[in-house]
Amino acid sequence: MKWLIAHWRAVFDASLKIKMAPLSFIFNTIVVALALALPMSGWIVLQDLQPLSNQVLVDPEISIYLSMDLPRDKAESLATDFKRLSNQHHVTASLTFIPRESALENLNKQADLTDVVSTLGANPLPDAYVVKLTGSTSEARVKQVQDLATALEKVEGVHTVQLDTLWLKRLAAVFTLATSLFWFVAATLCCVVVAVVFNTIRLQLLTHADEINVSRLLGATDAFIARPFYYTGAYLGLLAGLLSLALVLIGIQLLNQPVAALAQSYGTVFQLSWPNLGTVIFLLLAAVVLGFLGASLSVWRSLRRSL
Amino acid sequence: MSIILFSDVSQIYPGEIRAISHVSLAIEEGELVFLMGPSGAGKSTLLKLMAGIETPSSGVLQIIGQDMKQLHRAALPYLRRKLGLILQQNSLLNDRSVLANVMLPLMVVGAKPEEAEQRARVALTRVGLANKAGVLPYSLSGGEQQRVSIARAIVHKPRIILADEPTANLDRDSARLVLDMLQAFNNAGVTCVISTHDERLLERASKIFVLEHGRITAMRMPGNEVGL
Repeated sequence: MKWLIAHWRAVFDASLKIKMAPLSFIFNTIVVALALALPMSGWIVLQDLQPLSNQVLVDPEISIYLSMDLPRDKAESLATDFKRLSNQHHVTASLTFIPRESALENLNKQADLTDVVSTLGANPLPDAYVVKLTGSTSEARVKQVQDLATALEKVEGVHTVQLDTLWLKRLAAVFTLATSLFWFVAATLCCVVVAVVFNTIRLQLLTHADEINVSRLLGATDAFIARPFYYTGAYLGLLAGLLSLALVLIGIQLLNQPVAALAQSYGTVFQLSWPNLGTVIFLLLAAVVLGFLGASLSVWRSLRRSL
Repeated sequence: MSIILFSDVSQIYPGEIRAISHVSLAIEEGELVFLMGPSGAGKSTLLKLMAGIETPSSGVLQIIGQDMKQLHRAALPYLRRKLGLILQQNSLLNDRSVLANVMLPLMVVGAKPEEAEQRARVALTRVGLANKAGVLPYSLSGGEQQRVSIARAIVHKPRIILADEPTANLDRDSARLVLDMLQAFNNAGVTCVISTHDERLLERASKIFVLEHGRITAMRMPGNEVGL
């Protein structure tokens, strides 16, 4: 019960300390919010890009074009050979046979190519297989996929195997770079947040030096003195988190139309979506933890220096 | 067993400045003790050592059975809760009401606010300032501020009151009032250690230590004097 009273008291004291210098608290909150906004928006965009990047990066395809003169039954029986080779190269893959008629039909469905197809006369397309690869896109895996493509090329009845590994490698590298860059920027800005909160609490500790000294003489423990400042740091983190989240949502709302237009020009549909409840809670919790961390460091340093 | 025991205690500040030198003294529970001497004699240093504000450079100092040199930092607040401090400089918080100032020692120990308020009002009544509970300390006279300090020092029922020049800067009547209060708490069993250079106050003492240049030069008890 005493523990609960002490915490309730600390929450009250923290609010009182904020009320004593509201303007400085508001400005600090804005600074922290701006610092948080970038990693937050980065996180939300990465969450949005994850399904897209999974689709592009993690499920690359190998297209196997068979010889034009290969009989249909022979073409269909090649599936067994392809599956065996996939297993041998430890590549998890799903195999789809695309008869030349279906390929032409698909080509026809693309509106802007109908005229071109109608001028061709006979079907120029061969029977084909599409090998959809599943799993991650590490350097080692790219090598495995390359080896599989080479092996597939040697199978009798196969005319061409198409795998743009350079493209795959570049995309994997870009994705890795973007992810690393995001984490670097996020870590740097998190340090900025901790530093700002640290300084805010340091100034508060200086402002309340008399009160702290008197409380110490009256028998206050370190925990009693520190608690309101911990809560102030956590408040700062929470409010800055809410503010930066609002900024990010406004940003998403403003950017969504041009982003959708850009995606449409590439024949795809993409929109930045609002974060779900889980992500919101995670981001706010992270902001609170950063605020608490900055406050803890500041209080710890101050208490070590005084008796 | 003495409630306060100094055994060959010295306090040396950086630059080899000796604030007190080889001090040995014993104070028993319930005594009203005065520390006498001119400014710079070491009275305040003795009180700071008793309050755990400073740690002795050498010697043994025991407060309520606790060796102050061995006392862990985390245990110090719990010892201080058994002390009531009246400091030379006005240590009241001027941004809080008189009542809030007096409630502080109780809030520190985690008392319920209602209970703390009730006890603080009783303490203010005892020092004759019940009607000043809501005002800010800086609007009070020097004597009234000192009485608020006394109320804050006694509100948590300490075993020892340490008062550093409690009557300094007070007129004769206010000084007498403050001393009367401290004596009343002493009569109730609280050990009081008071530093002063005002000889008029000494008639009330059960023990007087005279300090000069950081050393105890004499100990007086009612009716006799022992030179040291």
